Formats: sequence, C-alpha cells, structure tokens
Amino acid sequence: MSQSAQPPISDRRLVAPVQEGTSARAGEPRNYVGIVRAVVLVVLAAVALTTPGFLSQPSILSLLTTVSFIGCVAVGMTLITISGNIMSFALGALVGATAMVFIVAANWGGFAFGLIAALAFAGLTNALQGFLIGWLRANPIIVSIAALALIYGVAEAFAAHGTIYAAAGANYGGFKGRVAGIPVEFAVFLCVTALAQFILSLTPFGRHLFLIGSSFRAAEAVGVRAWRAITGAYLWAGLFTAPAGIMLAIRYDAASMNYGMGYEYEAIAAVLVGGTVIKGGEGSVLRTLAGAIIIGVIQVVLVLQGLRTEWQYLIAGLIVLGVIALQTPGTRD
Amino acid sequence: MDILTVEGLSKSFGGVRALRDVSLSLRAGEIRAICGENGAGKSTLVKSLMGIFTPDAGSITIDGVRQTMRGPQHAQALGLGLVAQELSLAPRLSVLDNIWLGSSEVPVFHRRRALRQRARNALKTLGAGDWDLDIPASALSISQQQLVEIARLLARNARLLILDEPTATLTDTEIARILDVLKTLKARGHAVLYISHRLGEVFDLCDTVTVLRNGEHVATRPVRDMTRERLIELMLGRPFGDMYPAPAAGPDIGDAVVVDKLNVAGMVRDLSLVAPRGKILCIAGQIGSGANVVTRALAGLVPGATGRVSVDGKPLRLGSVPHCVERGVLFLSEDRAAEGIFHQRSVLENLLAGSFGAHTRLRMLDWLRLKRVGARLAQRVAVDQRRLAAAAGKLSGGNQQKLLFGRAIERPQPGVLLMNEPTRGIDVGARADIYQIMRELCSLGYALIMTSSDLEEVVGIADIVVTMYRGRTVARYERQSIAMARILADITHPVQAAA
Repeated sequence: MSQSAQPPISDRRLVAPVQEGTSARAGEPRNYVGIVRAVVLVVLAAVALTTPGFLSQPSILSLLTTVSFIGCVAVGMTLITISGNIMSFALGALVGATAMVFIVAANWGGFAFGLIAALAFAGLTNALQGFLIGWLRANPIIVSIAALALIYGVAEAFAAHGTIYAAAGANYGGFKGRVAGIPVEFAVFLCVTALAQFILSLTPFGRHLFLIGSSFRAAEAVGVRAWRAITGAYLWAGLFTAPAGIMLAIRYDAASMNYGMGYEYEAIAAVLVGGTVIKGGEGSVLRTLAGAIIIGVIQVVLVLQGLRTEWQYLIAGLIVLGVIALQTPGTRD
Repeated sequence: MDILTVEGLSKSFGGVRALRDVSLSLRAGEIRAICGENGAGKSTLVKSLMGIFTPDAGSITIDGVRQTMRGPQHAQALGLGLVAQELSLAPRLSVLDNIWLGSSEVPVFHRRRALRQRARNALKTLGAGDWDLDIPASALSISQQQLVEIARLLARNARLLILDEPTATLTDTEIARILDVLKTLKARGHAVLYISHRLGEVFDLCDTVTVLRNGEHVATRPVRDMTRERLIELMLGRPFGDMYPAPAAGPDIGDAVVVDKLNVAGMVRDLSLVAPRGKILCIAGQIGSGANVVTRALAGLVPGATGRVSVDGKPLRLGSVPHCVERGVLFLSEDRAAEGIFHQRSVLENLLAGSFGAHTRLRMLDWLRLKRVGARLAQRVAVDQRRLAAAAGKLSGGNQQKLLFGRAIERPQPGVLLMNEPTRGIDVGARADIYQIMRELCSLGYALIMTSSDLEEVVGIADIVVTMYRGRTVARYERQSIAMARILADITHPVQAAA
C-alpha cells in the first residue's frame, strides 16, 4: 500500500472530536474560582480606595518599594514552584545572607565587586540545593529547611548576631532615588520579572521546567535532563532573590539576618495569589507580579488602618490557606 | 425479577451531556457487557449506579424498589459492588484487611472469626480457598489482587458486580482465570456488568451486550445474535473497515537495532534480537516475562542494564535517556498517565516535548515555527487542530496516545520507536488510527519495537514476533509463521528453548 507522507495518516475522524466529557467537569470549578477571584479583587480595591491616605504619593511609593523586595523573592520562588518543587524555605535567609555578602564584599573590593560576589553567592548556594534535589531526588522541602538552618547558623555566627555596616566612605546614594518617577527598587523588580518571564516563555530551559513540574517521569522519558533543569531553576531563583538582599543593604547601608525574615512566606503567598499552581507545571511570573502587588496593597491597607505588623503574618497565612483551598478542587482530577 | 432496572438516566457536566436517557435492566445470573468508545458514557453510568455521581434525571430500581443512591456505601448495602479500573488494594495490608477495608459492617477491631470466615468463603467461591489471609496484598500477582477485589465484593454480599476493565493489565492466562471465576458467579445467581475494550472477552463471557455511544443507549442484544464486526459498527456508529492495516510490503531497509546479550538483573537474561527498519517487531510475553523491561532498557530507562546494543552499526550506550533520544531511540510508556502525558500542558507542548531545543532561533524558542510544526503533527496523528491550546489531560486516552506518537514523527531522520502496550485502555476507533500511524512510521523507515500482552493485537499488527518467557527469548517468528497458538504456548509454558 502506498501512502503519501503529508496528508493525515487516517481519514477516520473521531465521532465527536470536540465534546469529551472531562472538559466540562474540570471547567466547573475553574469558573467558580474565577468568580471568587473577581469578588476578592473588587472588595480589595474598594477597601484600598476608601482607606484614607492610600492614594497619596508617599503611600504609593512605599507600596512599590516594599513590593519590590518580596517580589524579587517571589519571582525566584515561581521558578521553583513551576518546576514541581513546591517552595523553598531558605529564600528569606538567603536575602539576609546575600545582603551581608554584599556589604562585606563591597567594603573590601568596591561596589561592583560586591554586586558580583552577592549574585555569585546567592546563585551558587541555591544551585547546590537544586543539584541535591535534581540529582539525588531529595525532598525539596527538607533540603530547603536544612539550607535555611545552615545559612542562618553560619551567617549569625559570622555576624555575631549583629548588624554589619557599610564602610564609612561608601556612597550608594545614586541607587536610592527614582528613575522615571518610580523607585529604583521597583524598576529592578520589573527587570527581574521581565527576565524571568523571558526565560520561562522563550527558552527551551523554561519549557522544560513546565514539563518537569507537570510530570517528572514523563519529562525524563522524552529525554529532558531533569537534574540539570532543576539545578538551573534553583540557580536562577538564587539570582532573582539576590537583588532583594542587595537593595536592602543599599537602602540601609547595612546588613542583618533580620532583613529577609518571613519573606519566603510572603513570596509563596504572592506566587499562589497570582495563580501559579502549587503542584507545579503551570504558572507565570507575570502572575506573580500581580500577586505581589495584591499582597503589598493588603499590607499597606493594614498599616494605614492601624493594625500591627503581627497581623500581616496572620493575613499572609490566611491568604495562602485560602488560595490552596481554591486551587485544590480545580486541579484535582 | 430484575435485579437492576435503570430508566431514563441522564447526567450532564457543564454543557456536555455525558449520559442521555439511558435505560437498561439486568436479571440475576446474567452477564451483561457494556461496550462503547471512550467518552461513550460507560463510566458515568457506573458512577451513577454506585452513587458517586447524582444523576440529573431518571431512576434506579434495585430488586423492585426505587432507590436514590446516596454514595458508594449505600450502593454496597443494596448489593452493588464495583471493581474499578485501577487496583484499589492497600499493598501493605493483609488480604483479610483488604477484603474488609472500608466496610461499614466492621467495627474498630475487625479480626473476628466470623469476618475471617466470610472472607475465606468469598475466596473459596473464587477457587482460592487455600490462600493465606495474612500475607500482604503486595505479595500477590496482579491477577490474584484482582481476585481479592472481587472477593471483597462477595464478602459484602454483593449480588450485582460491576467490573470496569478488569483485564486491562492482565495477560491471557490470567484473564482466562478471571473469566472462569465470573462464570462460576453467574451460575450462583450473581449478575455482572462487564465493561471491557477487549471484544474477545465479550463474546467468550457475556450473555447480552449493551452498546453506548455519545452518552446514548444504542442497542441491547443477546451476544449470540451479534457478530464482532456488527458490534464494532454499533460502537463506532459507522461501517467497520479493517482494524489492522496491511503489513509492510517493502524489503527490509537494513537492520536498525542489533541487541546482543542484554541483561537486567532478575528480569532479562542474555536476550538478543535484531529489528529491521520498516517493520514492526513485537515482543510477546506475559507480565513478569521481562518483555517491557527490554524496551525500557533499550530506551535508557533501566540503570543496571548491560549488553551490546547498536543502532545503525554504531554502539548505543544504555542507561541514559538523553543519549538514546539523541540517537533517535524514542520510548512510549505503557503508563501513559504517569510517564507519557503532561496533563496540564497544552496539546502543542505535548506534541513537541523533548524537541524544543530543535526549534530555536538565536537560542530563543521560535513559537511561530513551533505552532506550525505542532499543527502539522496534530493533523498527521488525526488529533483535532482546534485543540492545540487545550490541556492534554482533557483529551481521551486514545487522543493522548496519538500525541505520544506525534512526538516521534518529524525527527531529523527516522528513528527507533519503542512502545509498551501502545493501545492499552484505548477504544476501537482510536486503536485503528494508531495502527495506521504505526504503519506510516514504518513506511518512513522507522524501526518499531513493541510489547503487548494482547495476543490478538500481536498477531494482527506484528511483522516479526519474538516470544519471551521468564526473561529469556523462546522463539522468533516472521510474518507467515506467526500463529496465536504457538505464541501462547511459548509465553506460558515453553517446551523447549529456541532452536
């Protein structure tokens, strides 16, 4: 029998190619999630706009600045979540430690050296975790908790539980202002977001992260070098987290392990609020950008309404639980 | 009196009507086959009977009493029992524990003599009265575990057994045992609803057959009034062409794969084979024969595999999937859900998974080209191009399997395709499409090596059959000498080693 190569292999059409039962079943909870999302956004916007002082310039600028620190961590976290490794508990500690490395290195070898040292430190520390997770298939949560303890222990011993200050002559003034009307921090955050989205959407590596997150075994079976991709995801997560530490150090001319405290929770809240799926394989950093801004708005509103900072942890916890509760019925099938 | 009467059952999910006005009734001592393609409404029907779904309309009557199913436990109490497609035993619990697991009759402590005796009796009915009730379920073979699932229903006094593809993962001798058991149950007055894609079993076992299509009841007939072709036509709703396309006519284009003394500890011993391009070589063997381990090892998925393998004369290093893929050796798993499909990712990405690196410009993904290639691949494997952006997890099993085949097409040069059970759990229509795709790949010069425990498929599609028993090859047959009886004899109890 002779078959030409190009036309469809089979003329047999499916009886009903478009309507297959499962599509609608998965659709129902999604719509419901969409409605909940819309309602929450409208309520949040209403509360924010009616809060006195929210629309003032200082309030908006401080919102954009605080969002940037957590946002950078959240962008890095997004890569980890998409690759199927849930979250890293060590990113908050990494922020503080990176700030220290930056200050120490900049004091010794100047600003540029400080930048390079800080990025290298954050990237390598995280890549090592990624290697353990990808190569040995170690549990990502446990690895990150161990890394958290190690980073914290070493850094605290090094700094003797204190704060490290920039050398007297250091002048980072140029990095504290605004560019084109927005804070430098927020501009950096936008650049980080753009670079991460570029990697995810336009490189084979980025696509491989989605495949691995969707099904590790299926990715290996098609020949993806999963351990390399996972190591890469953690490496980039470290590089995206580092600016948060560097920017905090520049802002305060100092570094301490207190700087990144709790960032990993707020970051994962931003990732999830944005709509990246906790079990991996789906999501984007543009969504994380939106999530980070929503989290930031909530925090500013809380502060303006006179609630203490302790409440922010409570709210972050509730948000994570709420989003997980919303995600679960839509993704389980 | 009828054990079960269903009238006007309907169920919709969102806008899609999965079940439309379906009526049927079942007598004691009757084995009824439910046939239909994937998406025909079989599992919706089953889940409605078991109270897992609440139907939108219609009635379910059991023993003459109209019932509203409140859930699986309620259905069980009414004498219904389901053996689901996937085994649902807890591997570390004992056989006894598994039989009573989740039963509402069992108090906190269940190791009472009466319960043990009832479990024993249930197994005795199945011809397994001598089994040790205290060994863990994981020590049993798959078919033995299947029997435990049936015993679980009998112990709970189920009179209507619903079996959803109970034989999908079994080999032919194991299937024969299950069928014998079901015939015994029938003689004892149990009724059975039997769902299977394997039409041979329908004709061997069942008294009557109900055909569903697109959620609607098409026909219910006695099996003796039915022919195989007629049944397939009813399921498809169109005339039945040949299921298996004509075999490769061309000459061998040379030996693509030469395997010399492949060894995997405890699984495969000194296996050698030669697979030519343009042909389908089928390794036939029961579960545990090591057939599926051979293909996995050749794909680089078995770390401890040793042996000399060459592809087109050049040696192939075992143990590294990326290396094998670079050499054009591609693998299609029998476990489509866990090792094949990326459920959340789009059809497009599923078609191109593993070859993103080949579609870049300046090291960036060229999405225009990816979309073009993806559309062409979808067309060539007969998947609706309008669904390129849909999540692959929402496709039927047959369409998902076609996506996996799509990955193999349009490689820089024709490669080697290794397939385990390529049509497992796939309906008749998609099956025929897949056989066509396999023949197309042959004509493009691919070498195809597949394993199958469906003997009918082996005889129908293979150009070369290699039989395996306990990790060793038994014999090799070429086109004319392929015969079901000899293959069956080889894979069950080989009289002598291969000459």
